[in-house]
Amino acid sequence: MSRKATIWLWRAASFAVAASFIALWQLIANLKLVSPVFLPGPDRAWASLMRGFSNGDLWSKLAGTLEHMVYGWLVASIAGIAIGAIIGSSKLMRTYVAPSLEFLRPLPVSAIIPVAIAMLGLTQAMALFVIAFGAIWPIMLATIHGFAAVEPRLYEVARSLQMSRLAVIFKIALPSASPDILAGMRLSVTVALILSVVCEILAGLDGLGHWVLLSARAFRSADLFAGVILLGITGYVTSVAMSMAEHRLLAWQAAQR
Amino acid sequence: MAITAKRREADASGHSDPQIAFAGVTLELGGKTIIENLSLGVQPGEFLCIVGASGCGKTTALRLAAGLYQPTSGRVNFDGQPMLQPRREIAIVFQDYGKALLPWRTAAGNVSLALEAGGMPAADRPARIEELLRTVGLPGHAGKYPAEMSGGMQQRLQIARCLAQEPKTLLMDEPFGALDAMTRQGLQDEVLALVAASGATVIFVTHDLDEAIYLGDRVIGLLPHPGRIGIELQVNLPRPRDQLSTREQPEFLRLRRQLFDFIKATEQ
Amino acid sequence: MSDKAKALVLPLAVLLAFEAWARATHLQSDSLAPPSEIAIALAGAFADLSILAATRDTLLSAFAGLAIGTLIGLALGIAFGIFDTLNRLMEVTVEAIRPIPSIALLPIALIALGFGYRMEIVIVAFACVWPILILSRAAVRSIEPRLMEVARALRLPPAQRVWKIIIPAALPRIFVAFRLSAGIALIVAVTVEIAINPIGLGAGIMLAQQALRADLMLAYLVWIGIIGYALNIGLVVAQHRLFGRVALSGDSA
Repeated sequence: MSRKATIWLWRAASFAVAASFIALWQLIANLKLVSPVFLPGPDRAWASLMRGFSNGDLWSKLAGTLEHMVYGWLVASIAGIAIGAIIGSSKLMRTYVAPSLEFLRPLPVSAIIPVAIAMLGLTQAMALFVIAFGAIWPIMLATIHGFAAVEPRLYEVARSLQMSRLAVIFKIALPSASPDILAGMRLSVTVALILSVVCEILAGLDGLGHWVLLSARAFRSADLFAGVILLGITGYVTSVAMSMAEHRLLAWQAAQR
Repeated sequence: MAITAKRREADASGHSDPQIAFAGVTLELGGKTIIENLSLGVQPGEFLCIVGASGCGKTTALRLAAGLYQPTSGRVNFDGQPMLQPRREIAIVFQDYGKALLPWRTAAGNVSLALEAGGMPAADRPARIEELLRTVGLPGHAGKYPAEMSGGMQQRLQIARCLAQEPKTLLMDEPFGALDAMTRQGLQDEVLALVAASGATVIFVTHDLDEAIYLGDRVIGLLPHPGRIGIELQVNLPRPRDQLSTREQPEFLRLRRQLFDFIKATEQ
Repeated sequence: MSDKAKALVLPLAVLLAFEAWARATHLQSDSLAPPSEIAIALAGAFADLSILAATRDTLLSAFAGLAIGTLIGLALGIAFGIFDTLNRLMEVTVEAIRPIPSIALLPIALIALGFGYRMEIVIVAFACVWPILILSRAAVRSIEPRLMEVARALRLPPAQRVWKIIIPAALPRIFVAFRLSAGIALIVAVTVEIAINPIGLGAGIMLAQQALRADLMLAYLVWIGIIGYALNIGLVVAQHRLFGRVALSGDSA
């Protein structure tokens, strides 16, 4: 049997195992081993998911969450790379500023939420600020590290080619730091999703976080599970998309191994 | 052999203006004197080799010539102008090719970097890149990343990038030090051919005495702590040189012995 | 000036500048307070023990969740690391559950368990399982094959093989996973408290905000930061103490 066929066979078996877990879940729900108020069967959750999509409810909630997540993440990426590049490419900044950042890093970022609410109220701006603030750390710290770790020889090559400062940043430093930066961006996208959900729960902003909370309050467990499943899919799709982007952008790294 | 003729002419007149001139150069780094009062002229088209025990400052001298270091006192001139910063007419081939190539660019992309820096329009680059890769014996490898190439190929690629600068001077820092003997001999001959074709001036740093004599018009041996000139030998071996017959000539063996004795003395 | 002293220049300068600015403008704000007032509020919260009780609640939930999550993650990770068949069969299931943001489970935990420690512990545990599972699986897989051959040659029974060979060999890397998860545990605990659960530091900081006590709110923020930092430092030190040499010898082997 070819290697590819073996891999596919394992995949199929693995899917079968997952399917049997779902069947078990269905069985537990059918036998009412757990109250249906808390645990809907996969059939009911699926039906709710489909209903939500067909009447457009879930689409708009999903769009809301994606919007919060993506905007916050983009702001964090642009700001994080820019600030990280400035700090990482200067020895002076690294000695004076980087330690403060390392000190702030273990701060649970959600603790900034009350401060953001006090400043901006329960608004979209608050959510954007919180998400961007939370998502900026992995990107910024990775960028600092990436810029600080550029091979000095490459800077000498750039000097002997008399490249401009801008050319050095875009042709040498950024590509060299790109594996670190992308790894930071992958971590951040997860942070951004979590903070989007939290902000929606707290501020009642339109999105899946708000939807699952409302469903829980009304004990609509099928809707609740549908929302959680959709959040899981969102997390999965974004992480797969990030891996694919990394794979494409960093094809040269595969050659190095 | 126009180049050789030009070179002889310069030798005969004896005082054509040097392309690179060190005048009383001293360099201190971190409180230590690395190079002391070094004076040296390199004629246009000359192939100068610098040898010496490790730590004698030969690489440092090369970096001074490149403008990567500024002397603490004294002057380094290029074509009569003081070298205050690196310039594109001077290309450097680093020993650690693995670090000096951009791992995220293909062979073609690495060569292109020098063309981009020189301001060549994008439309003209592909043809020039192909020509350069062919010159260094890498046709058909344009799409490969450095990590997919052998050490010898990577060093050829670095040389191609340096040639793309169309340098008047080529500075080579133990370029073949990390390569095996066969690859090394092949590349020695190729460098000689490339230099003969382009007429570039070369300063070539090596710790391999045979290599220095085989390649050079002149060999300088440095004394360590601090670095200064200890011996200077004219190499009057005919060109083009040949790996077998050149190395068998009595003149080659005589120079080799002289240089060997010098190095041995410095190490005691 | 040493590098450590240089590192302190910026934070001190920011604090002083902020203090000066707040005094000069007679700052009246629901969101900002001068550092001196924050310090006083923090001292006050210590004096009436409120912040200590909140710290106890948060750390209790975080550590309980961390312990449960670590146990589950470790058991699964080691099993998956040893039995490749099991690992391959479970792959789709794991990859389907793992990307669910832990905080999305909050409403489920809420209706099933109500407010309080239990729901928070469950969510923290869920968040901690994954890094531990994945890193301990990798750690077990990277154990020197020679060691496993030794275990087989000695005819160690499976339980002893796990206890005497696999866990000690993988421990340095498992501890790194534990350190990561401890950070996650604190973050998730505080987040759950801020979002909905009326206990602990997260609830404390939300209450201070709702009472428009900017000084107290920022005092909580500073204290949460200190706890996060201390936890991180403590675990880094523990890692060096426990595994400094072992980790090094493991690298060179």
